[in-house]
Amino acid sequence: MMDFQYGWLLNLICYLPLAGALLMMFFINKENSTALKVWATLVVGVDFAISIPLWFLYKPDGAEFQFATQLQWIPSVGVQYLFGVDGFAVLLILLTTLLGFIAVYCSFTAITERQKEYYVFLLLLQTGMLGVFCSLDFILFYVFWEVMLVPMYFLIGVWGGPRRLYAAIKFFLYTLVGSVLMLVGILTLYFFNSTGLAAIGLEGLDHAATFSIPHLFTIAPQIPPEVQFWVFLAFFVGFAIKVPMFPFHTWLPDAHVEAPTAGSVILAAVLLKMGTYGFIRFSLPLLPDATLKAVGWIGVLAIIAIVYGALVAMAQKDMKKLVAYSSVSHMGFVMLGMFALNDAGLRGSILQMLNHGVSTGALFLLVGIVYERRHNRMIAEYGGLAKVMPLYATFFLILTMSSIGLPTLNGFIGEFTILIGAYNHSWVWALFAASGIVLGAAYMLWLYQRVFFGELSNEKNKDLKDLNRREQWTLIPLIVAAFWVGLYPKPFFERMAPTVDRVLQRVEVARHDQGPTAGDHVAELAHAPAGEAAGEHGE
Amino acid sequence: MTLAQFVPFLPEIFLATAGFVVLLLGIKLGHGGVRPLALVGVGSLAVTGVLVWLVGRPVDGPVVILGDMLVIDQLAVFFKLLVLAAGMVTILMAAGFLERFGYGGGEFISLILFATVGMFIMASGANLASLYVGLELMALSVYVLVGYFKLEIKSNEGAIKYFVLGAASSAILLYGISLIYGSLGTLDLREIRESLVALPTANPMLMLGMVLVSFGMLFKVAAVPFHVWTPDAYEGAPTPVTAFISVAPKAAAFAMFMRLFFDAFAPGVEHWRIVLWVASAATMIYGNVAALTQDNVKRMLAYSSIAHAGYALMGLVAFNEMGAWALLMYMLIYAFMNLGAFGFVILLESKGYAGEKIVDYAGLARRHPGAALGMLIFMLALAGIPPTAGFMGKLYLFAAAVEGGYVLLTVIAVIMSAVSLYYYFRIVVQMYLQDGEEEGAEPAPLLRDRWTEAMIAVCIVATMVVGVWPRPIVIWAKSAVGALGIM
Amino acid sequence: MKFYDLIWLIPILPLLGAICNGFVSNRLGLKKSVTHGVALLGSGLAWLLGWAAIVQWILDLGIHHTHVVRLYSWIQGGSLRILDGSLAEVDIAASFQLDAVSALMVFFVTFVGFLIHVYSIGYMHDESDRAYARYFSFLNLFMFSMLVLVLGSNLAVLFVGWEGVGLCSYLLIGFYFEKDWCAAAGMKAFIVNRIGDWGFLLAIFATFMVFGTLEFTEFFPAAAAHPEHFASAATLIGLLLFVGAIGKSAQIPLYVWLPDAMAGPTPVSALIHAATMVTAGVYMVVRCNVIYRLSPTAMLVVAIVGGLTAIFAATIGLVQNDIKKVLAYSTVSQLGYMFLGAGVGAFVAAIFHVLTHAYFKACLFLGSGSVIHACGGEQDIRKMGGLKKHMPTTYWTFLVATLAISGIPIFAGFFSKDEILFKAFEAGASDLNRFGSAYYVLWILGMVGAVLTAFYMFRLVFMTFHGEFRGGEEAAHHLHESPWTMTMPLVVLGVLSIFGGLVGVPGKLFHHPEWNLVERFLEPILLPIGHAAEGGHDVSHHAVSFGLEWGLVVLSVAVASFGIWLAYRFYMGTEALVRPQRLAEHFPLAYKLLLNKYWMDEIYGATVISGTVKGSRLLWEFDARVVDGAVNGTALTTVGSSFISGIFDLRVVDGAVNLIATCYDVASRWFRKLQVGFAQGYAMVMVFGAAILLAVYYLFKLN
Repeated sequence: MMDFQYGWLLNLICYLPLAGALLMMFFINKENSTALKVWATLVVGVDFAISIPLWFLYKPDGAEFQFATQLQWIPSVGVQYLFGVDGFAVLLILLTTLLGFIAVYCSFTAITERQKEYYVFLLLLQTGMLGVFCSLDFILFYVFWEVMLVPMYFLIGVWGGPRRLYAAIKFFLYTLVGSVLMLVGILTLYFFNSTGLAAIGLEGLDHAATFSIPHLFTIAPQIPPEVQFWVFLAFFVGFAIKVPMFPFHTWLPDAHVEAPTAGSVILAAVLLKMGTYGFIRFSLPLLPDATLKAVGWIGVLAIIAIVYGALVAMAQKDMKKLVAYSSVSHMGFVMLGMFALNDAGLRGSILQMLNHGVSTGALFLLVGIVYERRHNRMIAEYGGLAKVMPLYATFFLILTMSSIGLPTLNGFIGEFTILIGAYNHSWVWALFAASGIVLGAAYMLWLYQRVFFGELSNEKNKDLKDLNRREQWTLIPLIVAAFWVGLYPKPFFERMAPTVDRVLQRVEVARHDQGPTAGDHVAELAHAPAGEAAGEHGE
Repeated sequence: MTLAQFVPFLPEIFLATAGFVVLLLGIKLGHGGVRPLALVGVGSLAVTGVLVWLVGRPVDGPVVILGDMLVIDQLAVFFKLLVLAAGMVTILMAAGFLERFGYGGGEFISLILFATVGMFIMASGANLASLYVGLELMALSVYVLVGYFKLEIKSNEGAIKYFVLGAASSAILLYGISLIYGSLGTLDLREIRESLVALPTANPMLMLGMVLVSFGMLFKVAAVPFHVWTPDAYEGAPTPVTAFISVAPKAAAFAMFMRLFFDAFAPGVEHWRIVLWVASAATMIYGNVAALTQDNVKRMLAYSSIAHAGYALMGLVAFNEMGAWALLMYMLIYAFMNLGAFGFVILLESKGYAGEKIVDYAGLARRHPGAALGMLIFMLALAGIPPTAGFMGKLYLFAAAVEGGYVLLTVIAVIMSAVSLYYYFRIVVQMYLQDGEEEGAEPAPLLRDRWTEAMIAVCIVATMVVGVWPRPIVIWAKSAVGALGIM
Repeated sequence: MKFYDLIWLIPILPLLGAICNGFVSNRLGLKKSVTHGVALLGSGLAWLLGWAAIVQWILDLGIHHTHVVRLYSWIQGGSLRILDGSLAEVDIAASFQLDAVSALMVFFVTFVGFLIHVYSIGYMHDESDRAYARYFSFLNLFMFSMLVLVLGSNLAVLFVGWEGVGLCSYLLIGFYFEKDWCAAAGMKAFIVNRIGDWGFLLAIFATFMVFGTLEFTEFFPAAAAHPEHFASAATLIGLLLFVGAIGKSAQIPLYVWLPDAMAGPTPVSALIHAATMVTAGVYMVVRCNVIYRLSPTAMLVVAIVGGLTAIFAATIGLVQNDIKKVLAYSTVSQLGYMFLGAGVGAFVAAIFHVLTHAYFKACLFLGSGSVIHACGGEQDIRKMGGLKKHMPTTYWTFLVATLAISGIPIFAGFFSKDEILFKAFEAGASDLNRFGSAYYVLWILGMVGAVLTAFYMFRLVFMTFHGEFRGGEEAAHHLHESPWTMTMPLVVLGVLSIFGGLVGVPGKLFHHPEWNLVERFLEPILLPIGHAAEGGHDVSHHAVSFGLEWGLVVLSVAVASFGIWLAYRFYMGTEALVRPQRLAEHFPLAYKLLLNKYWMDEIYGATVISGTVKGSRLLWEFDARVVDGAVNGTALTTVGSSFISGIFDLRVVDGAVNLIATCYDVASRWFRKLQVGFAQGYAMVMVFGAAILLAVYYLFKLN
């Protein structure tokens, strides 16, 4: 189940930013902004560089979790220091390091005051995020999960817009409430394993008191439905707020709008993924029974999010807010694909997580670029920009197209795969969800038209500078990624396939115990031998 | 009764003596010699620590001394060292403070030493009588300490309130004790337990006694509804005293709490548990909610310490091994983070007595990044955000409650700790998100005082280290609770 | 290496041109000659390679062989359990195929596309260098998408092209983006198309759910093999696909975008919105003819929508005064004919009409472009007239194309259109799928539509080229024939409009079925359904007697001529323009109705669009007030209760105190200075609390 080769690499990737932050804190003068920028860029750059090997070293046909590290942390309660990643996590780690780099790189001119603190927080944030994706011990996971909130709070609160105080504390408290409830769920699971199951005394399983996730996977099938239900509920609140799922999404627009560009980018690209990551990593495989029961509800919520998010986005007057609500819609797709609980849906869901990171991240960068020039995000302020900023218009167009799922760009692959999975689960889902592509086109193109087309009416826009070289280079990697995923997603699918198969296997088990009771869809699939889905394309 | 019997009692004897010595030295040195006296006080506390360790080291099972009045076991050792540490930190932080306000050190320090003796007895009492004596010794010293700044009206006010209410609670406690004695004919904890086990049916008078005793204890740990004295006393008391009473007596009270309810009254758990459950929930909710809108830092921290008592009570409600050692751990961790936080309050208390407002912290991060960072760490710790010790402490308490099956209580606890973040972060907002030029911002200059700073540094290190590497503390706490009856 | 193994290169070549122009010429603002050189190279090579590949394919493999070139595995969605309970691999390949129908499309798309590139050189020469580069890169990009569309070997790849052409149309319609209405038209086009794509996507998913594959070469045979088994599925898929076709090919009710699309440069209208893109829907229906032939319902729906659109658009065309608008509506109407053809099972005729229509409609648009060019951007035919003598080449080619579209024998349009109408009648006669009567009605609609077509087209010719110039003095001076780059394509297309139809001579009429080359060429795409005997489409040829068949031909010619005569009576000679005036005054309502295009745009605007926008505003309110309100509300409540509990510890107690305090007397005044009253109040709180706790305790004890 675990492959410990290159474990050190994962730790290095995770803690390099932390080390960089500490060194910066103690050795770089806060006045010397060049040194700060260079050092920060260096750290995240190196971090990205050393995370690339994961892409090649990860063996899809190898152990479930690779690059693992296992140390005793608090043995008396079975808390371990357990690191390790599967393909899914590898992809997210690469996304994180890439976006982390871009986030630093795009802040050079945007952040003019308290730069030292700023870069320190960015680096800390990166360690926090990477830790979440690396941890395989619930307590360790939880530690990173909450650590991450603090720097984000400051990024929003210190360098944010006018309503930053409100937005920052709202973000912090809202997500914190979710995560503490998740903690209760974790503890319940823990004691159920160590005490509850031990009491039942099922043979062939060791019920050592442990927070180790790989171990808990093994006992998941024994957890009785009612326990699963409550734990699932606790997890759901924690993750759904992070995703964010309707109706827990209202912190997102505020946080996005107030956050500095880099903050929005990280928020959209990585932080939102942690919710969906949690669902796939914990809720589905650990609580299959509850998952199957929840499918209907979450499907509905996801569809609401898709349509609702799109419609509300259409009504926005503020570019950043519009993009923020579009995130709600996109993450709705992710949730829908996930809870289609089939191969395509889950793969699409994972891919769409990356796509959203790339496209929406880039869109926030673009909004930030023009905000930096005009210090105004109101759509009405603009119009006819295509004339003065042709290159900017081109990039914006490409990313708009990727966001509305134009074929040959990443968005299409994700949505297509999700929807084919969703249709496979229930044609009604697909029927409604697919309307998201119409609405998506509507609000994005309308935005594009209002900002770039028409007369160059506003005097203030007459002499806007087009993208400079640095700005171009913050965007180009993302655009390349968008085309790569759009044209040749195979390597991504290959790396996520093992995760998807295992998750589905673990859910399948419950399907059989449950039989036809869990709705005819389950019944239809019930007579599939477990893990057949896996056998088909393990390679 | 041979002299050898007094050997285990040496620490208390030494400390009491030291107390008198300091008192006399104080008279001799007058107002000038605060720092020398402080060193003497700290030194004697250190020596006591060594003695405690020497006495406690060989002991594995509980050793009863002085005619079954006191017991020496790891639990006692744990709490004694804890209160000693708290005492030392307090004295060192207080030195500069006393100088600033022109008060002498003699009485102050000796009172702290006497209080410590009282708490020693609370921690290792094996008999309701001795426990009560310890309690009163501690309480009386603390009443005086709260009113120590005799020229400050607030100080006196707090002291009187504390005293009156304390007296009332003592009365309740005593009444409970007498009821127990009346129904069982003994005050010895072990005998009480045995007879409770033997008791065929619950005797209402006895149960009432237990409940009343629990009320007395709830007062000492400042749990709702017996918390009312806390805000005024904390606000009124000289800040180092506030720091001290929010930590040491609370710890000692919990030690006594455990001696009584995990040992003597253990068999009657079903009778008192519900009371503590309600008290715990009420305390967490009330303390955290009330703290939200406090603009006076000390008052806010007072409510926060009420809330923390609520968390700690979960350990008692859980009534299992984990609950016991989690409670110990929490007391230790809470001591460090709270003392550290108060350290900053002391350093910022430059605008007269008890004038410390949250807005004093405006823009601290700009002017003193280091200090701001330290305060941030304590605030995170108090709110229970990893990777600080505060998280680890809460984690085990919550875990214990869940193990005991009190999920609802845990849910209340976690929600409330999320709420608590809001008021702790009101200070953080001032420090980092305001730059001190806004409307109504009245940034206070940060005073320099080596000793206090050193103590704060110690607390920071402790908070972070325990947060990242709690293993040794866990082991120690676990070994300490071995002596209790429920194990 | 055979050319037909390089068909994937056919789209790639123009793509390279697009990239080159878009990112190099456009950035650096290179000279126009370089720009269009690159563009012509891209499309020209595609043209040559395309034709070479087709020729080689016919010679080496024969038209019955579907040649698939699989590039790489594109989307791997893992395995899904499809309807029949088996597991199917979602492994969608990026692959292209060359068969009869895609060959035919490539044949004329590359060719017409190239011509229009040439034409654009002349037409766009006034643009700035960068705009010029932008234009040509979009045009090349369109060629790429269109070729992907017609060459794709599965629904997904087809969809790539499908969306690609949509994007290019969006970009080119909005080419003059400073003009708000141009940009708006582009957006309208894209979004309306997206509505269609919604159906298309669902169709794709349904197809996979049913067949477990999206490859044409896999699921067409499967479907054909078990007609009755897949009948119901075919209806669903067919209808969903048709939703896509309706959007792309501008049929009722989604036709509204096409007239607005005329905002783009005229060559674009000719290429994208007449010759190629808009026929993609027809192509797709014909491509999926197997599915449709399995489902009488789908067939009927296609036929009805087509028939209705044909006449509906024609009526609007009668009174429009914008030369391009008239052509636009005639395009919509002609597309209607194509769907009518497909709907009655005349798939060959439908695709044949696509072919001929590409010739004459492209010719017409380019002609109109040339006219507009001459009139300095004027598009209102009321301000034209008498251009015949100024621009003969344009006139003659325009006239030829008009004759073609009106369905005058020998000219290209005649054969294809007549074939469709005949097939419609035949469908009625043979009571196809027992919907005979419905097909008769549709046939009649078609005939009426033919009259209208002939009428409004000749109205256009007469008003534009005959009579006196009505454009005012200084405009008259500028009138001139266009440069050769513009007239050359006109001539070529004009010639094709004359002879282009001969490849589809209705040989049956002369007892020489083999003369109908198109039919023979496309025969392989009509897979035999089940065992060849049954199967919706092939009606027995004896449903219509030989004589009657000739009769129909004569009839449709007569009908067309009647339309022309009518137009002549109305718009030529001394009485010109007076009669229509009178007519309009006689039936003001009808006239207004037509002139305002049945107020369709207004209706949509008032219902769908403003509905959505208003709805979104409301939702936003809801989000801010209710959803977020709940969150903030909770926070406020907490803080509020905090405030209350905060003062409770002081004031409430205080009250209690004063109550007691009255009992105390002056003696205790100094005592009260220290506010010990508080402490007593506190004590009360404690006692009350204790009482409550006790109560709780005993409560729990009792049960």
